[in-house]
Amino acid sequence: MWEIILNLAAVICLYGTVEYCLRDQSGEALDEASLIPFADDPEVARRVELATGKQVKAVAPEEAKPGWGNVEA
Amino acid sequence: MSTASTGQAYNYKVVRQFVIATVVWGVIGMAMGVWIASQLVWPDMNLDLPWTTFGRLRPLHTSLVIFGFAGSAQFAASYYAVQRTCQVRLYSDWLAAFTFWGWQSVIVIMLVTLPLGYTTTKEYAEIEFSGAVWMTVVWVAYAIVFFTTVVQRKTQHIYVGNWFFGAFIVVIAMLHVVNHLSIPVDWFKSYPVYSGATDAMVQWWYGHNAVGFFLTTGFLGMMYYFVPKQVGRPVYSYRLSIVHFWALITLYIWAGPHHLHYTALPDWAQSLGMAMSLILLAPSWGGMINGMMTLSGAWHKLRTDPILRFLVLSLAFYGMSTFEGPMMAIKTVNALSHYTDWTIGHVHAGALGWVAMITFGSLYHMIPKVFGREQMYSVPLINLHFWLATIGTVLYIASMWVNGITQGLMWRAVNDDGTLTYSFVEALQASHPGFVVRFAGGVFFLGGMLLMAYNTWRTVRVADLKVAHRDAQIA
Repeated sequence: MWEIILNLAAVICLYGTVEYCLRDQSGEALDEASLIPFADDPEVARRVELATGKQVKAVAPEEAKPGWGNVEA
Repeated sequence: MSTASTGQAYNYKVVRQFVIATVVWGVIGMAMGVWIASQLVWPDMNLDLPWTTFGRLRPLHTSLVIFGFAGSAQFAASYYAVQRTCQVRLYSDWLAAFTFWGWQSVIVIMLVTLPLGYTTTKEYAEIEFSGAVWMTVVWVAYAIVFFTTVVQRKTQHIYVGNWFFGAFIVVIAMLHVVNHLSIPVDWFKSYPVYSGATDAMVQWWYGHNAVGFFLTTGFLGMMYYFVPKQVGRPVYSYRLSIVHFWALITLYIWAGPHHLHYTALPDWAQSLGMAMSLILLAPSWGGMINGMMTLSGAWHKLRTDPILRFLVLSLAFYGMSTFEGPMMAIKTVNALSHYTDWTIGHVHAGALGWVAMITFGSLYHMIPKVFGREQMYSVPLINLHFWLATIGTVLYIASMWVNGITQGLMWRAVNDDGTLTYSFVEALQASHPGFVVRFAGGVFFLGGMLLMAYNTWRTVRVADLKVAHRDAQIA
């Protein structure tokens, strides 16, 4: 009996964790998250937009700022 | 497409270093594998020297390919992907450089000490005490670099690939520290704090999760970044990728006892390990299908893109070996397969087919970008590498299946009077043709790796770091 209760508790716990992680996620937010790999690559982002019809929020990182920890820049 | 400007130029230097290290350790580690495969065909290849015997070189082979090749590949891929998906420069160039030189020194320690016979005797954890402590220091630095970069991200969401990389870093730290808890008697000799069945259980909790987290979870992080990027499509289902993540890390950690079926380990623990291994099939295949389906509408790209072929074939092998694993964890199947070459074949279906192939695909994607080239020196050579690797893997795993089933059946065969039908040596003789085919498979695979090294060398020789630096800024 206890085994069944513990097994059920484990499944409920897994379900609860997944739901908790997704609590603020709308379908749109997840779509946006899935496009993150293309966001810093404007050329690829354009091709993905053409292929999927979804809008990629592209970014272009600024110049490196030299300083502690950034010896290469 | 809207364009905003945030962050700093990426740190590609450490990525370049780890990429080269991956190729170098890949060549050395796989060559070591071919050497020990030849020793099983021609025993004279042991050279009658203590430090070149199979018993010493086999752990060196596994250490070099796991920590040198696969480890360096994951450092490179995680540092590359975390910067690009967080749109921020890697935290601290100095600490990142420390992780590179620190990790290489760990591999060199293995390269020197294992042939000399310094070993804990624990599989995949052979590095002795002082080396293991140093490894922990480097790993903690890796965690600091990776997680601080995630914390400093410019994106609101943490991309799912980084969740996998993060879990890989945290769980490997936990496994490594717990399994290496020991009492040192000098710099290179220690005794574990555990004993008997407990020691075996801790070792295989570590050993199985070395596969589960060092050779799976980090590579799934790689898959979730490089497959969509190479296909030019977002991952098939982002929601499924999150379920995949939680289910995988919840279940994998329980599967270790299947390595200890029919041993002194309590029977309930063996059954638990078997049950968890079977359940593990679901998230594994969920992830595999998610990766494969990312190609929806873009399957035609497989005709012309050998990099994509590597990535997709790696997923096919991942699916195959994560089906085979749970089947082998069933106690009745394990009664036949355990201690035979079937296990070696299964491991290499994962190691060559999944780990190495996804690494090749990811490296071929990354190398031109971090060295400022349009593409690799030779695309036909990538294609040739793909076929050599595929043929090598198939020869390897098919020969080990045949050998494993042959050995299992011969070992268990009994006469009417209860005596064994075959001696061990007879089973060994029956395995010899399989050893020859396995050696040939290894030569094919190593040949492909050497082609990759040549292709990389020719690409790097004409590297344009100015272009790489420019790409690092506008990427």
